[in-house]
Amino acid sequence: MTSLVTRLARLLAVVLAVTFASYSMVSLLPGDVVVAVLGETSTEADRQAAREELNLDDPLPVRYVQWLGDALSGDLGQSYRTGQPVSEAIGQRLGVTLELVLLSQIFALLLAIPMAVFGALKPGSFVDKALSGVQLAFLATPGYLVAVVLMAVFAVKLGWFDTTGLVRFTESPFGNIKSLLLPSLALGLEQVAVYARVLRTDLVTTFDQDFIWYARAKGNSTSRIVLHHALRPSSIGLVTITGISIGRLIGGTVLVESIFALPGLGRYTIDAINNRDFIAVQGAVVVLTVGFVLVNFLVDVLHGAIDPRIRVRTGL
Amino acid sequence: MRFIRTTPGIAPVGTRSRLGLAMLAGLALIAGACGGKDPAATEPAPVDSAAPSTEVAAPVTEAPTFTNPPENTDAVPVAGGTLTIGIEAESPGWNPTADPWSNAGHNVARAIYDPLATFDATGKVVPYLAESITANDDASVWTIVLRDGITFHDGEPLNAAAVQANFDAVKASPQYSGQLALLASMSVIDDLTLELTMSEPWSTFPNTLVGKTGSQVGYIASPKMLASPDGSRNPVGTGPFKFVEWVPDDSLTLERNDDYWQEPAWLDQVVFKPIPDSTARKAAMDAGDIDVYYTGSSSDITEYQALQTEGKFNVTIGAPGEPDAIMFNTLNAPLDDVRIRRAIVMATDMTRIFDYLDATGVKQPTFGPYATGSFWYVESEYPTYDLAGATALVEEYVAETGNAVEFEYAGGQDPFIVGLMELYQSMWAEAGMTANIVSRAQPENIAAVIGGDYQVTMWGGVGGADPDDDYDDFHSGTGLNFSGFNTPEVDAALEQGRALSDPEARKEQYAVLQKALGEQVPYLWAGTNQYGVIAKPDVLGFGTFDLPDGSAGQPITGGFFFLKDVWRQQ
Repeated sequence: MTSLVTRLARLLAVVLAVTFASYSMVSLLPGDVVVAVLGETSTEADRQAAREELNLDDPLPVRYVQWLGDALSGDLGQSYRTGQPVSEAIGQRLGVTLELVLLSQIFALLLAIPMAVFGALKPGSFVDKALSGVQLAFLATPGYLVAVVLMAVFAVKLGWFDTTGLVRFTESPFGNIKSLLLPSLALGLEQVAVYARVLRTDLVTTFDQDFIWYARAKGNSTSRIVLHHALRPSSIGLVTITGISIGRLIGGTVLVESIFALPGLGRYTIDAINNRDFIAVQGAVVVLTVGFVLVNFLVDVLHGAIDPRIRVRTGL
Repeated sequence: MRFIRTTPGIAPVGTRSRLGLAMLAGLALIAGACGGKDPAATEPAPVDSAAPSTEVAAPVTEAPTFTNPPENTDAVPVAGGTLTIGIEAESPGWNPTADPWSNAGHNVARAIYDPLATFDATGKVVPYLAESITANDDASVWTIVLRDGITFHDGEPLNAAAVQANFDAVKASPQYSGQLALLASMSVIDDLTLELTMSEPWSTFPNTLVGKTGSQVGYIASPKMLASPDGSRNPVGTGPFKFVEWVPDDSLTLERNDDYWQEPAWLDQVVFKPIPDSTARKAAMDAGDIDVYYTGSSSDITEYQALQTEGKFNVTIGAPGEPDAIMFNTLNAPLDDVRIRRAIVMATDMTRIFDYLDATGVKQPTFGPYATGSFWYVESEYPTYDLAGATALVEEYVAETGNAVEFEYAGGQDPFIVGLMELYQSMWAEAGMTANIVSRAQPENIAAVIGGDYQVTMWGGVGGADPDDDYDDFHSGTGLNFSGFNTPEVDAALEQGRALSDPEARKEQYAVLQKALGEQVPYLWAGTNQYGVIAKPDVLGFGTFDLPDGSAGQPITGGFFFLKDVWRQQ
C-alpha cells in the first residue's frame, strides 16, 4: 500500500513538473507573445492592455500557481484566438483522439502478437526471418507515407473507405469505426514492429524455462502452452512498451489527424502551437501529460496483475 | 503544397513583406504555407473568355480562362443540390473584424458575406454590396452609398450605421486597426450614405474593400453579430448563403439565403470541409468524397485538364496571379548593359520553361508585371524569344568590351528549382552567355539581394496586383528597388498614380512604367501563376460571376471564388 502512495505522489510530481516546464516554455520562446497574438501592427497601448488581461506582467511562478488553481477547477482558460473555452474545445476533441489511439493499439497488438508467437516458436527459422523483415519494413516506413499509401489504395483505388473526415459515433457506430480504420492503421503500423520484437524476445526466453518444458512433457499442445502458459509471463515487456508508446502515439496523432482531416486533439494542439495560442497549448499539454502519466501508472498496476511475483515484491 | 515546386523558390512573399505589410497576410497562415505570396492580391483578369479550356494544344498565348467544358455551356442552371468543398485550412472564427482568414477562410466568407467592392472581368475594382464608392478630388474624402432594401440574415437592415459599426470594430481591434489606419473619421450622411474622411489622400481605398488576404474590411457583418460574444461562431452576413452549423476542423454547413438581394443562389446547401494535407485533399477529390477543391499547382491543373476531356472533372482556371520573375542587378556588369539584359530575355524560350513546369496551357506568358488580359496591361517593347537576335547582341557586347558574358544566377536549393535553373542556363548558353548557378537557402538569398550582392536571381512578389503595390519595387527612392532600375519619369508616374483615384487616369501613369520596363528590362517575366478550381463534372458555374448590373465580374481571383452562380446538374 505504501508503494501505491509513493507512486501516486510521484505521479503528481511528474504532472506538476511537466505543466510547469511547458508553462515556462511559452515564456522562454523568443519574441513577445503579445505581439504574436495581436500582430506587428498593434499599438503599444493595446499590447500593454493585453499583457494585463493575460497577467503577463506577474512573475512566472505567480502566474503558474494561478493557472494551476483554475486548471484544478476545470477552467483551462479561453483561447485568445478563437474565444472558445479551452476545456470545451478539448472536450469536443479528446474523444476522437482517444478512440484513434485505442483502435491503433488494438490493430497493432492484433498484428504483433501472432507475429511474435510464430516467430518465437522457431527462432531463426525462415518464418521468423520473414516476419521480422515485414516488421522492419513497417518500422522503416514513415507514418506519413503509410497514411498516404493506405488512402490511395483503400479509399481512392478500391473505394472501400472515405479518404478523409469523421463519422460521429452517434450518427452511425459502424460508420464511426469505418472512418477511423485507415487512420488508426496508419498510426498503429509503426508500433507493430516494436511490440512484436519485444514480445518475441520475451517469449523465446519463456519457452526455455522449466515450467514450459514441464508443460510440454505433460503433453500439452503448442497452442495451449502458448495461450495458457507462455503469453502471460512474457507480456510484461509488451505492456511496458505499450504504455511508453502512448507518448509517441500522441505525436503521431498530430500527423494522422491532419492527413485524414479528423477533428482531434492532436490537430488542435498543433494549430495552437502554430498560432502561438499559448493558453490553448497549455491546456492541451496538461491533458496529454496527465493522460500519458495515468496510462503509465496503469501499466505499473497491470504488471502486478499479470505477474503475481511483482505484486509480492512491490506490495502493489 | 506542390505549388511551391513550380514557383521559383525565392522570396515568396516579395518586397511587401519587408515593409511589414505582409505581416497582416502572415496572420493568414496558409498563404505562407503555400510558398506563393498573397494569392488574393488584386490580380487583374484576362478578358479572353472564349478559349475553351480543352484546347490546350496551342498553349503559350491562349491560356484558358473562366471556362467550363464547351459541351456544357448551353446548359440552363437549375436550383438544388448540396456542394461539398474541400478547403485547405480551418479558421479560428468567422467574424471579419476579428478572425484572420487564410485563402480558405475567404472562400467561406464570400458565401456568407458580400464585400462592399469586387473586381470586374478585367480586374478593375467596382462597387458590389455598395451602390457606389466615390472620392473627392484628392481622394481624402470617400463616400459609400449602399443599395436600398438589403437585409442581413438576421433581418437587420444594411445601412450606413451598420457599415460604420463594422469599420468601428476594425478600428477598435488591436490586430486589424492597421487596415484602416488612414481612416480618420466617419459620418452617417443619411440612412444609406456613409462619408469617410481620411488623414491623407488614399486613392486605392476601394482596393481595401474587395476582401483579400490580410484585408477583410470589405465584408460587412450584422452589427448584432459583432456585438454578440459568440458572434464569431455564428456568422451573420448579407451573402447568398446562411450559416447553419460549424464543427471546427470537421465541417461548416450553409444553406441558401432565399431572401438574397440578388437572384438567390442555385445550391440548396454548401458544406466546407477543411483538409489541411494537400495530398489528402487531392485524394478526397479523386475518390469523389468532395465535389470541389482548388489548387495552385500547375501540374495538378494540367492533370485534371487531361481528365476533363474524358468528362471526369470540370476545371475552371482563375484570373492570373503575380508572375514569376527573374531580377537583374542593373548596377553590376555585364548586366548594367541593357543589351545583355535584352539578350537574356531573347534567349529564353518560355515554351520550354512551361513544358518543364508541366504548366503548358495553365500558365500564361507575361511581357511585364501585369498579365496581358489585365486592365492595367499596356503593350511595351519587352523582347520576345529570338535566339539569333540574342546571339548578335552578345557578340556585339563581346566585340566592344573584350569581355565574355558571364554572371551568377541565384536561386533556391530544391532539386526541381535547380533543374529549372539549369534549363534557363542551357538556353542562355545557346546565345553565348555563361550563367553560374548559385543555390542558396531563401533567407540567405534575400540577404544577398538586399545587400546588392547578386547579379541575376529568381524573384517574386512583383506585379500581378494593383500597380501601386509595386511602388517600392520600381521607385528609385525607396531603398527596396533591388534591381537598381532608376528612371525619373517612372518615379513621377508612380507618384501620380498614387495620388489619382480615377482608374483610367491612373492607368496612363502606369503605362509610363510598363513602357520603361519594356525598354530597360530590369526583370525577365516568367509567366503567370494560376489557380484552378477542380469540380465534379456535374458542377457548373465556377466560371460565372454576374455583377448586380448584369455585367461580368471576376469569378475567381487567385484562389478565391464566389458560389452564388454555381449549380449542379440534376
